Amino acid sequence: MAEDYDDDELILAELDDEELVAQMHDDLYDGLKDEIVEGVNILLERGWGADKVLTEALVEGMRIVGVDFRDGILFVPEVLLAANAMKGGMAILRPLLAETGAKPIGKMVIGTVKGDIHDIGKNLVTMMMEGAGFEVIDLGINNSVDDYLNALEEHKPDILGMSALLTTTMPYMKVVIDALVEKGIREDYIVLVGGAPLNEEFGKAVGADAYCRDAASASSTGVAMVQQRQAA
Amino acid sequence: MSERQARRGGGRDSKRAARQVSQTKQAAFIERRIPYFELLDEASLALIEDNADTLLEEIGIDFRDDPEALSLLKAGGADIQGERVRFPRGLCRSIIQATAPKEFIQHARNPERSTVIGGRRMVLAPAYGSPFVRDLDKGRRYASIEDFRNFVKLAYMSPGLHHSGGTVCEPVDLPVNKRHFDMIYSHLKYSDKPFMGSVTHHSRAQDTVDMAKIVFGEAFATNNCVTTSLINANSPMTYDDTMLGALKVYARNMQATVISPFILSGAMSPVTVVGTATQILAEALAGMAFAQLVRPGAPVVFGTFSSAVSMQSGAPTFGGPEPSLVMYTVAALARRLGVPFRSGGGLCASKLADAQAAYEAANTLQTAALAGVNFMLHTAGWLEGGLVMGYEKFMMDVDQANMLSVLLGGVDMSENGQALEAFREVGPGKHFLGAAHTQRNFETAFYRSTLADNNSFEQWTEEGGQDMAQRANTQWKRVLADYELPPMDPAIDEALLEFIAKRKADFPDKDY
Ligand code: B12
Repeated sequence: MAEDYDDDELILAELDDEELVAQMHDDLYDGLKDEIVEGVNILLERGWGADKVLTEALVEGMRIVGVDFRDGILFVPEVLLAANAMKGGMAILRPLLAETGAKPIGKMVIGTVKGDIHDIGKNLVTMMMEGAGFEVIDLGINNSVDDYLNALEEHKPDILGMSALLTTTMPYMKVVIDALVEKGIREDYIVLVGGAPLNEEFGKAVGADAYCRDAASASSTGVAMVQQRQAA
Repeated sequence: MSERQARRGGGRDSKRAARQVSQTKQAAFIERRIPYFELLDEASLALIEDNADTLLEEIGIDFRDDPEALSLLKAGGADIQGERVRFPRGLCRSIIQATAPKEFIQHARNPERSTVIGGRRMVLAPAYGSPFVRDLDKGRRYASIEDFRNFVKLAYMSPGLHHSGGTVCEPVDLPVNKRHFDMIYSHLKYSDKPFMGSVTHHSRAQDTVDMAKIVFGEAFATNNCVTTSLINANSPMTYDDTMLGALKVYARNMQATVISPFILSGAMSPVTVVGTATQILAEALAGMAFAQLVRPGAPVVFGTFSSAVSMQSGAPTFGGPEPSLVMYTVAALARRLGVPFRSGGGLCASKLADAQAAYEAANTLQTAALAGVNFMLHTAGWLEGGLVMGYEKFMMDVDQANMLSVLLGGVDMSENGQALEAFREVGPGKHFLGAAHTQRNFETAFYRSTLADNNSFEQWTEEGGQDMAQRANTQWKRVLADYELPPMDPAIDEALLEFIAKRKADFPDKDY
């Protein structure tokens, strides 16, 4: 936040569409939530459809944030602010998208599995998913099969995400997935798993759709898999 | 033909044998003869203590999912709101100082290996907890019980390590709810150095205590420390029921716990050195005071493990200067409190036993020695932020550990150390290699690395042009090949195996 941008004078409503969208990309990059909310409202007032605001202003802006996070230019605390600004914009767009029947980007339920309190990685994944426009329901730490099942029932997400950092808790992921299979609802969800002691092979062995090595790949994989489903 | 005379002995064979083993002698601990590196002055340390008291009084610490813990803390004078525990200023310090030992003996099954934790001593233990292992031949893979036994044997065979450690790697091939039996048995059977117990469930802590009783005898193990275990705070400012459950079992049985705020600064504590040290002190005070409330006099160690997260990715980083500043600061705080201090290790984020691994590890090992660490977990083997136990890295770290004992041994100020006699004998313009003083001292004068290559380029090339990791690979295989089982009373071994078989039959295998 140390950048000096000169915003005293700037009145967003006076920018033309193209300039405003470019400014919103910068504002997302700088994590300015109020400005993003204002920008979204202006574009809507000018008759833009919610899906157009989403893709051209927000998603594109966060794509740039994602690239610079990957390249080590943007730091975690900055990406948190950007994701938070994105969340502000999404809160306005989500009901409108639902009204028009447009496909929302997606919803995710995430939590660490029973017995595991390691949550730094899960929190970063939440941040990146929100940055990508997902609505994320964070169940926190130490979740039992029932916690997951109840949350799936209540929120009907596209993705179930489970995190574990202990070899003693990782196998619990299989217990949860087996419960989904048993209830005949496994295919209703994309299941992503992660945590440093896991690997690709383990992800397959427990029956997840994908293992993701970090938060950036969680969001790109999540977005791609939800799109694939919506297309199917 | 006259009968062949018996030889005088000496000569080539015995010297070759003597010179090819490590010159480091197996000791029970390192005795420190150099001063502590004191980073902060009295006023700064007092300020941190005052701020920690503010944290304990105003914000407090959560003790989660353990109603018994809350009632013990309440009876001890803490203020309880839900699971939030607030401590009046100075309460934790006075509870600890009233009953916690300043130093304690952890007994080993071989009395010569019984060690003392605290005071001017340093005890070195291997790395802990990694789910993977790595070596040059087979690469990175999930650890197995065979790897576990190998590392117990390597630690046993390393004279610079005083302790067998705990979860030297996680035997992922065994069921989650029963692998602790095989781990503890391995420490007891394949080594005779002191060991650490299981903490992942209170019943596993109890199994540890029960197995120790078989080896040390019920009466002895009830009144003496025969195992030391690692209790991590769930920072920031939280203890969870798993760790509290294990802590209670050990403390009630008079066994030692290392109460460790393990901090990834930036994520789990504020980004500053003083902020982090303040939080570490507050959390450790609360945990150690709790242990004293469970059982006054139970040995506790003020532990900490501080590293930073990369602000670019959230990944843990190691060997940087800020964690060293934290370690110097917290070591001084532990001395002021009057309890043993745990920190340090051959920490690194590197995937391989390469230059990054070596220098990140060296930074932390040296800092730990200078800071005054009493118990150093993770001394040998650590790779990839603790995800991997490396065979070659283990041997490299052991070499460094051996050096620490020389460094901490300080400077010999005796007449021999002053060496005036050597100056008189040699005089200007000659060399010292043949001097009587040199002849008397050369063998132990300089630490000889067990792995470094200082030969000519040509000799190094002839010997295969190996880098350090390749030499370490040869070395660990040789050490394992030379390993001999330390003797154990067969009746005890049988009793242990019987206990394990019976307990394993008590409940079904479970993988969580
Ligand atoms: C920090 C840490 C802790 C902290 C956790 C604090 C917190 N609030 O999370 C504390 C100190 C509390 C802790 C406690 C313990 N820990 Co710990 N801990 C670590 C450490 C050093 C770093 C983990 C971390 O935060 N990494 C940074 C984040 C950003 O990375 P990440 O978690 O891997 O997440 C990324 C990816 O994996 C992925 N991802 C993660 N989750 C998900 C989920 C989904 C859906 C997706 C798609 C992706 C994804 O994206 C993330 C972001 O990029 C690891 C070692 C390591 N290097 O991993 C040990 C480690 C995991 N811990 C370990 C152990 C043993 C413990 C304890 C049992 C120790 C003890 N004796 O007290 C306790 C257990 C407590 C409990 N009840 O669970 C072992 C586990 C190995 C094993 N044997 O099973 C490790 C490997 C270290 C070691 N060698 O001991 N620990």
